[in-house]
Order: sequence, then C-alpha cells, then structure tokens
Amino acid sequence: MSTAEAIRTVPNAYIPSPMRIGRAGHDIEGVFTWVLEPAAPFPFEPGQFNMLYAHGVGEVPISISGDPNDFSTLHHTIRVVGSVTEALGTLEAGDEVGVRGPFGSTWPLAEASGQDVLFVAGGLGLAPLRPAILSVLTRRSEFGQVTIIYGARSPTDILFRAELERWRGRFDVTLEAIVDHSGTDWYGPVGVVTRLVAEAEIDPEYCVAMLCGPEIMMRFTARELEQRGLETSQIWVSLERSMKCGVGLCGHCQLGGTFVCKDGPVYRYDQVAAKLLMRGL
Amino acid sequence: MEDLESVLQKHSFLSDLKPEHVKLIVGCAKNLRFRPGEFLAREGQKEACMYLIRRGTVAIETHAPNGETICIETLMPGDVLGISWVTPAKAHFDCRARDTVIAFSLDHDCLHRKMNEDAELGYAIASRLLDNTYQRLSRLRLQQLDVYR
Repeated sequence: MSTAEAIRTVPNAYIPSPMRIGRAGHDIEGVFTWVLEPAAPFPFEPGQFNMLYAHGVGEVPISISGDPNDFSTLHHTIRVVGSVTEALGTLEAGDEVGVRGPFGSTWPLAEASGQDVLFVAGGLGLAPLRPAILSVLTRRSEFGQVTIIYGARSPTDILFRAELERWRGRFDVTLEAIVDHSGTDWYGPVGVVTRLVAEAEIDPEYCVAMLCGPEIMMRFTARELEQRGLETSQIWVSLERSMKCGVGLCGHCQLGGTFVCKDGPVYRYDQVAAKLLMRGL
Repeated sequence: MEDLESVLQKHSFLSDLKPEHVKLIVGCAKNLRFRPGEFLAREGQKEACMYLIRRGTVAIETHAPNGETICIETLMPGDVLGISWVTPAKAHFDCRARDTVIAFSLDHDCLHRKMNEDAELGYAIASRLLDNTYQRLSRLRLQQLDVYR
C-alpha cells in the first residue's frame, strides 16, 4: 500500500488518541525527539503535522519528522518554547501523550518528480523537511540533482548532525551546512544560509525548491532563488501560525483568506509571498 | 600557459571589466598563495592590498576578551577581501586562511592611482565594490537578526 493510498480519514479530528512514547531522545539544547508507538498504522504525508496534547496543560502543533514509509512509528521533534512544550518535555519513554492528526498540506513531491530538488532548511526547520528528504532519498532515481542546504546558529545547534553527515557521504546528494557564528572548531562555511543558495548549482528551469525555517530566513532565501532565476511557483515554504483546531474552523491561524492548519502549512510561495509582506498578518 | 592578465579577467569580480582596464590594473596585481593558518590581514594593521580569492577559504575573525576566536564569516572563491581601504582604514578583523588559499592581491596605492587616472576604470571598480559591499551588508543584517534563536 502506497503512502497516498494509506492516507486515512482522521476518525475524530477533535479527540486526541492516546499514544505511548517509545523513545525520547535529546537532540540539541532545548530540542528533543519522540518516537511514538501508535496502536494502529499511522500513515502521513511529508509536511503534515499533528496536534500533541500534554494532559491538563494544552495542545501544540508539531510537524512530523519521521519516515513516511514507516507507518508503525511517529517521530516528532520538539523545541521547548512555552508551557505546553515544557510539559511535553517532562514526559519520558513509556508515558502517554494525546495525538490528533495528521493535518495540513504536504511537500510537492509529485510535482518535483523528474526535476532537481533543492531543500533549504534553517535551524529546527530541518525537522518538517526530513520526511520529504527521506522520501526523495528512498525514491532517488525519480529525481534529478538533489541538494540540501542547511543553516544553523552555531555548530552546537546543528540538528540531526549524524544524519546530515550520512547524507553528505552519499554520492547522489549535495549537502552543504553553514552556521551563523563559530569558533575555530568548525571547518565548514560561516555566514547566512542565503550565501550557500547564491553559490548552489541550480538549473532554474528544472528545479523545485522546498524551504523550511524561520519566516525571515525563508523570505530572504526565496528572494535569492528568484535572483537565481526560479519562479515563485517553483518555491514552496512551510509556515507557522498559531494553530489550535487543526481543521480550519477556529480561525487562530488565518493568513489572509487561508487557514495555515488546513490549507498549509506547506504553500507554494506565489500564493503567500504578498501576504508574508503584510505586517501582523 | 595563461598569463596573469587573462587569469585575472576570469575572476568574477573583474569578469566583465573591459580588457583595456584589466591591462591597466595588471601591474598592480600579484598571484599569491597562503598556507593554512596564515593571515592575509590582521586587525588594527594597515591593509596594503585587496585580495581576489581564487581558491580556498578565508575566515574573518575577531576574539573575545577571554581570547576565544570568533569566526564571523568565511569568504570563498570569487569573493573580495580587504575592501576597508575605500575609507581608508585599518583592518577591522583578522583574516586567516583556513586551508591553502590562492588569491590575487591588488596593491591599494597602485589601484587608487590607476582609478584616479582613468575615471571609467575608477567607476567600474567602485561600482563593483559597492555591489560587493551591499551583498555583504545584506548578509550581515540577516545574520544580525539571529533568526534561529
């Protein structure tokens, strides 16, 4: 059964299903990854997210960071930024958490088939892109040149470092990482991620770019890609807003005429570029 | 074998410069090699030349009061180093070769003289420097936002 065929209807989009934490691991400072063990197969598409519920505290939207071909586990990479994620951070392997989902739009892997793929991730933005990267690498022959560009604050803030090194070791992937600041223990480039985008080998006619990271970083990166000759319709971004219901009803995540939880979080850039320039939207 | 003039013209900073202008500045240029760890410029010292990096990586560094080295940016092939002479000023940062670096050096005094003598050359070099400075400034502004915090 393909992932697309396996997409299920969420039984009840409003009621969290209890799910056991199989493994909980520390990634970098303030960031941890859970491997959840669903009672039944849990198919999802790259780019989607779940609402994770810390019992008695609240819910947060968290992107799925695992392999979409693995229906038996569910990976979530979480940064502690508020009371809910703080509460989630106190849970350990064996504990239960509430899960609603999967929700949202997906990375355009079908559109990217036969074309070069450029992934640009910044900071924790690598987590929502990871399922798309794993999908592309699993079906590597279906795509042209695959380039991954990753930017982090410093060498100690690099997420999934061992996996990045494995990807970099592949002959069929180009991977470059850059950090904003470093000491003398980092041998890679130092500067902002747009620097590597400016240098990347891109064929603008046959390229699909998928960006995920802080919104400012994505705006700058998209601008750089436009300068490199890409159309905004070839660029995809994953947005974050205050998502609550997950099904486009409550309006907390409204962005112009769209709801990020339902119509996003992955958008084609030409559909949101103007909205992202409107302050406070 | 290619001569200095033709190789110089291939550097992205000078790539579309008129051949007669490349001819004018070739006398200011040298092809240099720096060993890993060697400094191209030191903070507080006068910068006698501008470098057009051809190969290798140069780290722009400063240090914290505890002596810890902080790398602010790395420059790559195609980049220009030593643009503070425009003001003119002393180097604001240490510039250290991370690996073997091959670069053209352009003597500041010589280049200034040629730019003053030929206004068209002066404009061509100045506008390239302005463009390069603007790109560096844009990157540094983004860096300053500390977006991954």
